[in-house]
Amino acid sequence: MSEPATTTTGRLDPEELERRVQARFPDLAANIAYGELTVFVPPERLLDVLAFCRDDDALLFDLLSDVSGVHWPGGEHVVEPQLSTTGWPPNRLTRDRGTVEVAYHLASLVNDHRLRLVVAVDDDPDGPPTVPSATGLFPTADFHEREVYDFFGVHFEGHPNLVRILMPDEWIGHPGRKDYPLGGVDTEYHGAFIPPPDERVWSRDVPGAGGGKVGP
Amino acid sequence: MSVDERADGAAYATPDEADDIWVQGADWEEIEDAVSEGRLTVNLGPQHPSTHGVLRLVLELEGETVHRVQPVIGYLHTGIEKNTEYRTWIQGTTFVTRMDYLSPLFNETAYSLAVEKLLGIEAPERAQAVRVILMEFNRIASHLVWLATTGMELGAISVMIYGFRERESILDLFEAQSGLRMNHGYIRPGGLGADVTDDFEEMCRAILGFLPEHIAEYEDMLEQNPIFMERTRGVGVLDVEACKRYGVTGPLLRSAGMARDTRTSDPYCGYEQYDFEVPTRTEADSYARFLVRMGEIRQSMRIIDQALDRLPGGPVMVADKKIAWPAQLGIGGDGIGNDPTYIRHIMGESMEALIHHFKLVTEGFAVPPGQVYVPVESARGELGYHVVSNGTTKPYRVHVRDPSFVNLQSVEHMSRGHLVADLIAIIASLDPVIGGADR
Amino acid sequence: MGLEENLPAGILLTNIERFVNWSRSASMWPATFGLACCAIEMMATGAAHYDLGRFGMEIFRGSPRQADLMIVAGRVSQKMGPVLRRIYDQMADPKWVLSMGVCATSGGMFNNYALLQGVDHVVPVDMYVPGCPPRPEMLLDGIIKLHEKVRREHFRDKVVH
Repeated sequence: MSEPATTTTGRLDPEELERRVQARFPDLAANIAYGELTVFVPPERLLDVLAFCRDDDALLFDLLSDVSGVHWPGGEHVVEPQLSTTGWPPNRLTRDRGTVEVAYHLASLVNDHRLRLVVAVDDDPDGPPTVPSATGLFPTADFHEREVYDFFGVHFEGHPNLVRILMPDEWIGHPGRKDYPLGGVDTEYHGAFIPPPDERVWSRDVPGAGGGKVGP
Repeated sequence: MSVDERADGAAYATPDEADDIWVQGADWEEIEDAVSEGRLTVNLGPQHPSTHGVLRLVLELEGETVHRVQPVIGYLHTGIEKNTEYRTWIQGTTFVTRMDYLSPLFNETAYSLAVEKLLGIEAPERAQAVRVILMEFNRIASHLVWLATTGMELGAISVMIYGFRERESILDLFEAQSGLRMNHGYIRPGGLGADVTDDFEEMCRAILGFLPEHIAEYEDMLEQNPIFMERTRGVGVLDVEACKRYGVTGPLLRSAGMARDTRTSDPYCGYEQYDFEVPTRTEADSYARFLVRMGEIRQSMRIIDQALDRLPGGPVMVADKKIAWPAQLGIGGDGIGNDPTYIRHIMGESMEALIHHFKLVTEGFAVPPGQVYVPVESARGELGYHVVSNGTTKPYRVHVRDPSFVNLQSVEHMSRGHLVADLIAIIASLDPVIGGADR
Repeated sequence: MGLEENLPAGILLTNIERFVNWSRSASMWPATFGLACCAIEMMATGAAHYDLGRFGMEIFRGSPRQADLMIVAGRVSQKMGPVLRRIYDQMADPKWVLSMGVCATSGGMFNNYALLQGVDHVVPVDMYVPGCPPRPEMLLDGIIKLHEKVRREHFRDKVVH
């Protein structure tokens, strides 16, 4: 099997990738952090952007390497500057409504560059967050989207078989979401009972930071 | 309806009754209902000796020919990704190492690299070199288990015994360095849990001394073995285009002819310094995957050899005391307990050190907000960690792109039209680890 | 003193209970039931280095119907629980269960929604082996202790689960 006979431009820097994507989609927001390019895409344009990234001669993202979900519940998040490792300002973030971000990690096997597309959808209490399915462009999205559906309840429109993949079929709830408790049972140690990790008191934690209750 | 209840007393369904299907047994009627267009739906697993753990396959068979395969996973779902959100960044290492339990050090390295990328630090050179050595040994160990289980599933039990025998010597090395045979928790954000032992190089060299000869022996056992060749050649062909469609990476992609390896395309831990080849084949079948894996074992030995030659001295943990757990710990007088020097320091000499130690252990260090995706080349393909931080001392989200999970999607494509027995060879050539796929 | 004095050489007297228990413990065939990390150590125990064959257990049966011992090697998820119980039910009496590793014993470090917090919620367990994963020596030790336990069993105590 030979590699596809496409003229390649070689590896592109994140800046060059950003210019290339924004030349075609000028209104998409993008940022470069930690040497990685993230492009924020509204759900209705996801398939266009994915198709462009796959087929463009310079980008040639022929591998959808990962689809991952991140849940940001609504409300105010304040992350105070940590005393132990200082160096960044307090991180304040207020959301009226929760958001589920679906991150698509694209890789080019030919050109060796990488790109992340992030689709943020409202975590709508009335209906499931909906994102178009990428299975038509990348068949490998099949399992990934089922996983994101399983853990975050994101509905992928057009997916051929959107059922739970890791949890049992009859499971209630989507365990990856922040409003889903970690679960677990009390454990006994030397006669004392220790609550499961998500019910322990961590006084320095903030709600939504994955630390459970605010103490005391 | 039981056999006894049948009006004509026949123990078998005759061809007249059901065109081309012969079924014996009491539940004939239920089976007949399940049969459509002459196809039979059969469940394989989740507990089956030849499905590599708890993989379940729902097969649609035409006679003995596989028409459709649907892999069903999740029987080993452990909630590791969610669990890491309730622990500190350091404790995450202990969780991720238990995902893909045949390649724990790759998980640890990928996670540590992701956290280091967020922190903007880089582990010292010695730590990087030790990581490379241990990861390559881990690759060899993983491929040896693959050889063992594949041999067993294809009927070559002796290969299984030999594969595990070689693996033991590598596990002894891991145990000497980390204290555990598997699930080490040794590679941590910032470097290593502790420096390697004094006889580390000696132990590595000893393994490199006998391994090539033994590997050649096992290769001889299988390479020209007519049964093995019959079972694997031309079975489970997956070309480059299909690999891309299904997101398949690792030895499968290389067996199809594409020299793609994250170690060369996105070098990490200083892989760009080492001189090695990426073995490829063009047949894209199970036999080619066997040859590719054997080639990878040889290349791994080459890398280890070079890394040992230039193993630098120095610390194995970053100097920043806000992040680094003490890595230069000794052991107590009983051979197991805490490091007496360190205990004396924090308990008797310095109040600040005690406070610092207490904070680092209970609260951990904070990591700047942001998200990164770090891929490494595990024994099965691209292992990627998507780590999101919101600036606290615990991960906000850790998502793992496990190669076993992704590669399993290609089973249906590879096995359609093959016999059921070939399906076993195809699954074996994929080398899925269900702990990684289900996480 | 009774019967023993009149016996020819080469004949030993015992009771049927001890004899049966001895034969049960001397060829206790485990079911192939690997779940997670511990399964790899279980395979290593069966391989050349540790050689489970020394205890009459080298044959891991593919079918639960031919097996006497179920080694629950690894974490048991909520999805796997019913499957595990079904496999246990398929095994013929007498049967024993060995819980290998902390995950099977108590859920271990994974105190969360996905795992059963101990396989003893689903099946009765005869022997627990600690460790994450237990070394092959520890598994061997657990197996030998289980053999001793089987040798001391009384028929009247054996209840059918």
